[in-house]
Amino acid sequence: MNLLQKILLIEIWKGLFLTLKKMLFERFVTIQYPEKDKVIPAPGFRGRHALVRDPNTGDTLCIACMRCVRVCPSQCIKVEYEVDKETNKRRVVKYEIEALRCVYCGYCEEVCPVNAIVLTEFFEYVGFTRDEVFFTKEKLLANWDEFIAKAKRPYLNPFWKPRGIPEKFLPVRKRNFTGV
Amino acid sequence: MSLYVEVIKNGNGKGEPEHFTINMGPHHPSTHGVLRLVLELDGETIVKCDPRIGYLHRGVEKLAEHLNYNQTIVLSDRLDYIASAANNIAFCLAFEKLLGITPPRRARLIRTIVNEMARISSHLLWLATHALDIGAMTVFLYCFRDREWLLSIFEKVCGARLTHSYVRVGGVRLDFTQEIIDELRRFTEEFPQRILDYETLIDVNRIWLKRTRDVAVVDAETAINLGLTGPVLRGSGVPYDVRKFRPYDAYDEVEFEVPVGERGDTYDRYKVRMKELRQSNWIIKQCLDKLKEVEGEPVLAEEAPDLLLPSRVREPEPKPHPKKGFVFTGKELPVVPPGEAFASIESPKGELAVYVVSDGGPNPWRLRIRTPSFVHISAIPELAKGHMIADLVAIIGTLDVVLGDCDR
Repeated sequence: MNLLQKILLIEIWKGLFLTLKKMLFERFVTIQYPEKDKVIPAPGFRGRHALVRDPNTGDTLCIACMRCVRVCPSQCIKVEYEVDKETNKRRVVKYEIEALRCVYCGYCEEVCPVNAIVLTEFFEYVGFTRDEVFFTKEKLLANWDEFIAKAKRPYLNPFWKPRGIPEKFLPVRKRNFTGV
Repeated sequence: MSLYVEVIKNGNGKGEPEHFTINMGPHHPSTHGVLRLVLELDGETIVKCDPRIGYLHRGVEKLAEHLNYNQTIVLSDRLDYIASAANNIAFCLAFEKLLGITPPRRARLIRTIVNEMARISSHLLWLATHALDIGAMTVFLYCFRDREWLLSIFEKVCGARLTHSYVRVGGVRLDFTQEIIDELRRFTEEFPQRILDYETLIDVNRIWLKRTRDVAVVDAETAINLGLTGPVLRGSGVPYDVRKFRPYDAYDEVEFEVPVGERGDTYDRYKVRMKELRQSNWIIKQCLDKLKEVEGEPVLAEEAPDLLLPSRVREPEPKPHPKKGFVFTGKELPVVPPGEAFASIESPKGELAVYVVSDGGPNPWRLRIRTPSFVHISAIPELAKGHMIADLVAIIGTLDVVLGDCDR
């Protein structure tokens, strides 16, 4: 910096000119959330949990294989099941997710062989009590209904079938699935 | 008031000057988290500075002993939460060394891109808060605007903005789509102009120069003795960069320079980081070009998937059963061989090293993390001595500490 630049405050003027230019000629990046603008998360955003409702039976797709329970790092999933004596199939009695403990890693989606659990792209949920964000099976199914009403069909979460990973490399063998 | 002046002027009656002891933090906005500094002041000059840490201690190393290898990566997000992708990579590299897995080339290139994106977003946040602490408001706004863009790309890549958990032992979780590559290209085209904007605002600004020139000068020898790494060490003129010395992922394929400073003061460290932003941008560009060569390759190594559900080892092909569908024969086998591994990466803040010991079980037997912020905080007393209390804010800023990284 020479003397003339020092006296004339050249670098200060340059900075002020830049901010003025940005103010007048650039588009605004601030959005008026939530009054005017809405935030649309990218597909695959890991938000509120839901259990996919089977369109045929009206119940969950879950087969109670307990893989999500085992893989959960924060141990926030609780599943209870009973075995049908005739068909020898498992039926979910209780499926609970404690959303306050969840770290939203999405491992449960990845290991689910029937793609029953999903972290939806819905993120605007809060509660005044712990019970409101403690998801039972009914609440999880209701979450799904609320989400799928607005989502694009067929809906296919990227974590159900990760891009770029061949079928045989997946942690569990996924049943045939083309989206809900 | 007059009593205080009396005491400061004349001392405590024994002829010694009276020193004030005050607390800075843990709830101080410029300590970047919950850092508490007990300061002994002579007037406004710092005589002694004593950092107290541990307000954000979560016991990550102990927690990791109860989680399996892929679950541990989720913990690594919460270390340096500004650049969590870099932490993920450090953990995965250590585990891959232990297992002897090499991720495919596409995965390594993607990791390099993600690591550099994390570096840019970390440096942008550093510049924003450092400038704000010193008094430049506009830089803060501009940096956060650009960081927002980067975070939205991260959201498209892995579905999370801060706690990515994107990198997986043996590769990455999701492949890039064409949309992400296009957006990243747009970012890399525009970003150099943005860096010029920041530099116009503060590079030769006289207030910025007064606040940063000759503040916290560290010469090369002291910097090495204090254990400083990363841009802080390079600001003192030592060209040490893990990416050059022990290349990991795809860093041996790409070209980049290691910028170094001369005087080792706060301004030099600022310049080093600004140059690093350009280098990172260049690395991302090169990697995007190289991604074309490995189109369609898997992004996960073949041996990797067994780690997510380690208590049962699958047969390679599950056998179909007439009634039960597929049958997985579950035998308890050691998933990870016993042994130890060490890996270090150049995280945005410095050298991040992970040392893992396995006893053959599904969980790490011991996990030790060497984080740059912890070492950098221990250097604050040395750097702050003799400076004004206002300079302490600049010193904390220039070391770029994150308390989640320090306390673990």
